Amino acid sequence: MGTSKKAASVRTIGARKGPSRPADRPWGQSPSTSCPDPRSALQAPLPYVDHFGLPPSDLRSVLDTALSSGGEFAEIFMEHRTYDFINMEEDIIKETAEAVSLGLGIRVVCGDRTGFGYTSDLALDKVRKTAETAAAIARGRAAQVRTPPLRDRTCGTSRYLVRRPVHKVPLGEKIQLVREAYDGARYFDPRIVKVKVLHSDSLVHVCIANSEGLLVRDTRPLVKLVCVAISEDGAKRESGYWGGGGRVGWEFFRDVQSPREIGQEAAREAILLLGAIDPPAGEMPIVLAPGHSGVLIHEAVGHLLEADFNRKKTSIFWNKMGKRVGSDLVTIYDDPTIPAFRGSYNIDDEGTPPRRTLLIEKGFVRGLLQDKLSARLMGGAPLTGHGRRQDYSHWPIPRMSNTYIAPGSDAPDDILRSVKKGFYVASLSGGQVEDSGKFTFSVSLGYLIEDGQMTAPVKQATLIGTNIDILKKIDRVGNDLAFGLQTGTCSKEGQDVPVNDGCPTLRIAKMTVGGRS
Amino acid sequence: MRRPRISRPAPALRDVAEELAAYARACGADEAEVSVVDGYEFNVDVRKGRIETLIEAGARSAGLRVIKDKKTAYASSSDLDRGTLRRLVRHAVRRAELGNPDEFAALAPLSRERVDPAALDLYDPAIAELDSRAKIGLARETERIALRDKRITNSYGATFASNEIRSVLALTNGFIGEYQQTYCGLGLGLQAGDTDHRVEDSWSSSKRHLKDLETPEAIARKAVERTVRQLNPRKIPTQNVPVIFEPTQTAWLLGFLFGCVAGTAVYQKATFLEGKLGQRIGNERVTIIDDALRPGALGSHPFDSDGLPCRRTVVIDKGVLKSYLCNYYAARKLGLESTGSADGSGVGPANFYWEPGPGAQRAEDIIAGTAKGLLLIRTLGHGLNSVTGDISRGAFGLWIEDGRVAYPVTEITIAGHLGRVLESIEAVGTDLEFLNPITGPTVKVAEMTVGGQ
Repeated sequence: MGTSKKAASVRTIGARKGPSRPADRPWGQSPSTSCPDPRSALQAPLPYVDHFGLPPSDLRSVLDTALSSGGEFAEIFMEHRTYDFINMEEDIIKETAEAVSLGLGIRVVCGDRTGFGYTSDLALDKVRKTAETAAAIARGRAAQVRTPPLRDRTCGTSRYLVRRPVHKVPLGEKIQLVREAYDGARYFDPRIVKVKVLHSDSLVHVCIANSEGLLVRDTRPLVKLVCVAISEDGAKRESGYWGGGGRVGWEFFRDVQSPREIGQEAAREAILLLGAIDPPAGEMPIVLAPGHSGVLIHEAVGHLLEADFNRKKTSIFWNKMGKRVGSDLVTIYDDPTIPAFRGSYNIDDEGTPPRRTLLIEKGFVRGLLQDKLSARLMGGAPLTGHGRRQDYSHWPIPRMSNTYIAPGSDAPDDILRSVKKGFYVASLSGGQVEDSGKFTFSVSLGYLIEDGQMTAPVKQATLIGTNIDILKKIDRVGNDLAFGLQTGTCSKEGQDVPVNDGCPTLRIAKMTVGGRS
Repeated sequence: MRRPRISRPAPALRDVAEELAAYARACGADEAEVSVVDGYEFNVDVRKGRIETLIEAGARSAGLRVIKDKKTAYASSSDLDRGTLRRLVRHAVRRAELGNPDEFAALAPLSRERVDPAALDLYDPAIAELDSRAKIGLARETERIALRDKRITNSYGATFASNEIRSVLALTNGFIGEYQQTYCGLGLGLQAGDTDHRVEDSWSSSKRHLKDLETPEAIARKAVERTVRQLNPRKIPTQNVPVIFEPTQTAWLLGFLFGCVAGTAVYQKATFLEGKLGQRIGNERVTIIDDALRPGALGSHPFDSDGLPCRRTVVIDKGVLKSYLCNYYAARKLGLESTGSADGSGVGPANFYWEPGPGAQRAEDIIAGTAKGLLLIRTLGHGLNSVTGDISRGAFGLWIEDGRVAYPVTEITIAGHLGRVLESIEAVGTDLEFLNPITGPTVKVAEMTVGGQ
């Protein structure tokens, strides 16, 4: 519903849950590698004219139309997206779906103002009209800038690890995969009463042309297989969730994570929760499991170091560059270059090659996640390649990709043993933050810690704190960095983008747990 | 290589929908449903007096469902090129063959009842006629008034947005329906306090008719009040106390309840209210309605995506669960009747609200009658589990002592269970307003756990 939503302050992660023992997973344990895989099967993407019907000469003239009222910068973002979906529930393949989306968005920037238009009709006259709409922001002065000839600067390497592209796999094979995950959950335990398995894969061709003469393309695959299992025991009912995927090929589900395992893990969580108790309430020491507890870093740090909130001085971090905000154990990166990860890309949605960005170094604020607009308005700050958008009908804003806290030196068992009485966070279902630094995250499965041991399983708790307070209270960092399930989506200002995050085992000296008493 | 297409006069949406449905039959589908939507969007963000972003765009899309031998496939496209759409239809028919037969898969039978879209008052020509400068002016004025207040230290900016949407639905059972609707909205987000002690809030008004929109003055005043009342908060110890939900908070509680009474969740056993039809699930103060026929309201519409006429449904009557909200599919699975709630492949709310009832009190009197408790004003995070009914969220509130607001509280959590919340409603306010499709008045819950220090 397109009503006014002042959502600048509301950012959420939906549908995320975390592994309880991700250290078992070799997948995604070397975050610092950024070497693209030369074997990628998606290498020679089709020329843009095949998808968009707009040769470079037309693009250049449309950019000049966009600048005709005096704008300083113009950009065309073209996108062709195909999406396939399978839903299995109640023992049958209930439905399949296919979606195609084709369109372009045109942006004109004039000072701090942005004009934006989009169209799903790529006929040249409609495209030109869209450019005129976007141009209106600059209000009438004659063209100041002309677009130089467009040069294709698409890089030949890829961060997407694909041997067999999923979009070419016949539907019958995908259905077989879904059934394996389904059976993994359905027959795990007689108390599993309902199972739902969703498979989705997409292939997105983007082509970006701008008035600086840039012309660049990327072809991005994305795959996700998730399972929800519902368990029942007398009047008690619980649910479990597990999933996997990334920017990978079909071989992922044979070589890295089997569908059966995804089903079994969802069922295991649902069964475990049947015996879980209500969470305790109040302040207590917290230990976070490695892997998807990275949601904490995503919320507490990542969002508030997105450049737009700092340029506008709404973020609590805006006046803290170079200053200490956390304990010296805390070093945080955002890295869009990790091969095969859900949050990775070859170029961002403004055509900038991304780089691993240091956000916090030993407790000190060191960097921001930039897009072109904020970097320019902040006096020519270096681009980091974090300008992302949901699709062609949205303009780019600074976003995270794969965010993680760097490993420390403590053995995970020592961290657990150090807590007399506290709360262990095993599995998370999401989080939210506001610019003041207040953040929460939802725990779907936790454990009581008693005398350094995990004891009773605990269900449905919320943790709340203020980031500059909690970052100082991180007093133990494990050596076991791991990443989340590769199923996460981050939402900001109504735009959803795929992300991932990671962390090693962490101890927070004290944090408020929202339970029931 | 595909050459640039020549723009032709666009075929009428109705023709696109009917032709595609017929084509699906020709390709072997037993039944097909086609929806086509044509939308126009305007959005302006103004911050600190200057335009930040201005969007104007039109977009069309088509969606279809085909059923062949009781097997279902869906497809959708933003590319209305005839060749693309026909290819999607052929793919869908072929994909349907690879699915499993589902004895409940079928289009709803053609209903003889029709709701006249004109009677619902969904379209306002004044929105189309309002020029961009006036729209920008409304946003600018709203922010300007708010920033006059010296306690406001930063602005997220003000937004004016409007939409005009035309929707067509064609089914192979002979149903064809079409209607036009508009929305407009004006809103503002603010911060108060210095950098390390910021508080924030917002207010917005969304309507189908321009004349019903709250004024810039009213929106600015509410946004300022909501923001500054949170300044200088305290932390409180963990305790069990009465919790008063402001209407904005009742709205999310109702959104959660909607997910628990949706027929699609019921047959999947994904709700704690499964098997509770006809039973008492709340006390006599709980009456919940879903009404698609309220003229001019944001959630009203004449027919659902099954082509069935929309209606008013009593979901909970004085605490008794009277009806789940079902599309035709969920209704068949559960042996019930559709409530006209089909929304794409799932179930959606119309105007889903909490009816105040005869014993309703003024919100001020509910607060005045509370010796000690929490007035809940904002929440953060998710923590709603429809399978179990558990509620656990981060919260901001005003602490109530001796019937008065004593001070704001922060970094707290609230926890409870939706079933027990509905059983322990102590008071319902008279302040129901149709601000959103899901909306409610102030409600007071006897006891929830407030987590703090």
